[in-house]
Amino acid sequence: MNWTTIGNLIGLRYKLMWAKTRTRNGKIALFVTGYLLLVLMLVILGAGGIGGGVLAVRSGKAGVVARAVLSGLYVQATLGTLMLGFGMNAIFSDTELRRYPLSARERRFTRHFIGIVDPFWALVFALEFGLLFGLLVFGAASVWLGLPAILLLLVSNYLLARALGLLVDRLAQSQAGATVLMAAVILISTTPGLAAQSLQHNPRMFDTLLAILRFTPPFGAADAMTKFGADGFYGLLIVIGWVLLFSLALWALEQRPTERRTAETTAIHWDSRYDRFGALFGARNAPLVAYWLRFYTRNTRFRTMYMLTLPLAAFLTFNFARSGGAKAGGYFVAALGTFPILTYLGTARFAVNQFGYSGGAFRRYFLLPVAAGDCLRTGSYASLLLGAAMLPVGLIAWAALVPEPYDARSLAMLLASGLTGLFIFHGLGLWSSLFGARRGNYTSAIGNDLSLFGNIVLLGCVLTGLFLPQLLHNRAPDLPTPANWWVMALVALAALVFYIFSLRAASAVLFSRREQLMALVEGRA
Amino acid sequence: MSTSTDAIRISNLVKQYGVVAAVENLSLSVRAGTIFGFLGPNGSGKSTTIGCLTGLLDPTSGQIEILGERFTADNASLKRRMGVMPENLGLFEPLYAHEFLAFIARMFGLDEATTRTRVTELLAALELTDTSKTLSEYSTGMRKRVAFAAAVIHSPEVLFLDEPFESIDPAGVALIKQWLRRFAGQGRTVFITTHVLDTVERLCQDVAIITKPGRLVWSGDITMLGRDGAIEFDGQSFHALEALFLHLTGERYADLNWL
Repeated sequence: MNWTTIGNLIGLRYKLMWAKTRTRNGKIALFVTGYLLLVLMLVILGAGGIGGGVLAVRSGKAGVVARAVLSGLYVQATLGTLMLGFGMNAIFSDTELRRYPLSARERRFTRHFIGIVDPFWALVFALEFGLLFGLLVFGAASVWLGLPAILLLLVSNYLLARALGLLVDRLAQSQAGATVLMAAVILISTTPGLAAQSLQHNPRMFDTLLAILRFTPPFGAADAMTKFGADGFYGLLIVIGWVLLFSLALWALEQRPTERRTAETTAIHWDSRYDRFGALFGARNAPLVAYWLRFYTRNTRFRTMYMLTLPLAAFLTFNFARSGGAKAGGYFVAALGTFPILTYLGTARFAVNQFGYSGGAFRRYFLLPVAAGDCLRTGSYASLLLGAAMLPVGLIAWAALVPEPYDARSLAMLLASGLTGLFIFHGLGLWSSLFGARRGNYTSAIGNDLSLFGNIVLLGCVLTGLFLPQLLHNRAPDLPTPANWWVMALVALAALVFYIFSLRAASAVLFSRREQLMALVEGRA
Repeated sequence: MSTSTDAIRISNLVKQYGVVAAVENLSLSVRAGTIFGFLGPNGSGKSTTIGCLTGLLDPTSGQIEILGERFTADNASLKRRMGVMPENLGLFEPLYAHEFLAFIARMFGLDEATTRTRVTELLAALELTDTSKTLSEYSTGMRKRVAFAAAVIHSPEVLFLDEPFESIDPAGVALIKQWLRRFAGQGRTVFITTHVLDTVERLCQDVAIITKPGRLVWSGDITMLGRDGAIEFDGQSFHALEALFLHLTGERYADLNWL
């Protein structure tokens, strides 16, 4: 191994990271991230870890608690990377590393070492270490087996997330990929519910399930952490086995080059559906809207996410309705939160960072003989159009599938809720595109390349959408009911006003901020 | 010195980034119907000047007049009469070449029939007939051809070309040069930056040379070089533009023993 060069590259990654903090936005992001991480670490180490340890020791079930906590973290981290792209940013691609005198093995090591020391994985490690720390304080864990076990568990989690990410990427590139992914999401989203029902009917299945889960990495790590002697060592061996297996899977996937789809015809087609949709926005906006529609729909990641939005929303509705004890109207309250998400989850990445994926093409907007704001507005219209198209689909799915009595008012209220989310998100997206722009990679299939502002808008809207109706339902049960559909309609109207205001104000701001944005999206700032 | 036939007039143009000056008090004029070479070493402010002339950047101070009208970045009617090939090409990469050119044509107000005719003709002339690839999949030379086509598709009266010949093969360069000569012959104006001085010598009538930070050091007619004449400057005769350029910008020679 060429450790000097590898060390230099790892050092370069942190120099680049540090260089970003020299900008004003970078300093703010650094401060907020640092503050949040510090608070989180204190909470995790102080309350979570020791709390977990106390619970484990007092209940006399250290092993069960450790298995539950580690499994939860493992699944959450995997889903967090796949759904939100945390911890999956490739700092150096293999092609970039080929410039340096490194062998294929050294390049792979460098990429994955830099990948695993990402702050996201450090946070996962802190959570796992918190549990170990808590158990250690009360003498319920072994440090000699526990520490290597959680380190290896983290490695296996990272390798699994990377392998799944690559698999999703490859699937998304293929013709039937989006359909396969949609089927996978439906399967994953329905399995817990079905499994829970099966376990209720047949409790003996639980023992079989536990016997199978014993061979998973989190259970293995939990055993290594809480059991002494041969049992603990056996748990560690299970984790090592998974690390090797995932390494092999990742290696095999990385060896397989991405298949490129090529068009079968070279004829020019002038009659395009993009231009027809664009024409709906008037002659002045038509070419720009058509361009933005192409920009969105030709992106593999967008197409995949767009296809997955409906099953994801259904999954969230089902789970939130169940977590609320499936009380009367539980599905409806949950759907009030998930309908807004339906309208923007697919387009979110581009909507909150509209120019971040343009690169050098950003300057083209200012060479066109139109007001600069037109380019921003039309991009937002395209996103709005694509997001709004999910609403009728969602309403039909609701009317056809949800086990609640039909009520036209509930459809009206869900529609209004969806429109509220659509307008508020896109209004905020305009501001985020101007003040939270970040250079992103248009073709990347995975990874979170949004700025802090962009992430706050996206996650803030998703969390508000999910929890606000629940909160209202708990505090004022009569409010989120179909009888109050007109209140939701008024809220949607207010959201529309906010969106129109944002369109006008943000369009005016774009012109004055164009030089800063140009430097940002072209990678000079 | 400016005349009423000037297509471009720049008066005391200053562009500063904070305390750093990128262009310093630049004044020059470009005659209509000429191909004007704007030369300077790397980082001397050529692209910044073009940025100010085309509305990408706001000048810190100074005035720009194009086709007799005061130019500001939001002057859409004047932009419609200009064609620009920016430094980094500014291509919308998810689009196919014909879609991109049709988009530009429509934005510049061409009707549908003209758009289709011109796009087809430009693609054929510039040998961009592989329409199965998006612009992101094109080679650098092909991308450059597309950017050039986008700059001329609406028959502008003034054309700004930032480094147009780099990465294009000799046949492509010859074709573009031929078009530019015809373009200027029709009374239209070309403002061009390049580092290929031989091309400038054969193509341009007038030249301006700037040094860091965007300071004009020489401008004038260079047509005598094509007739085996010489440019007289600083008491010396320069028979090639390269010699004058190196004299003005400072010849650099560093002896690296290990190289």
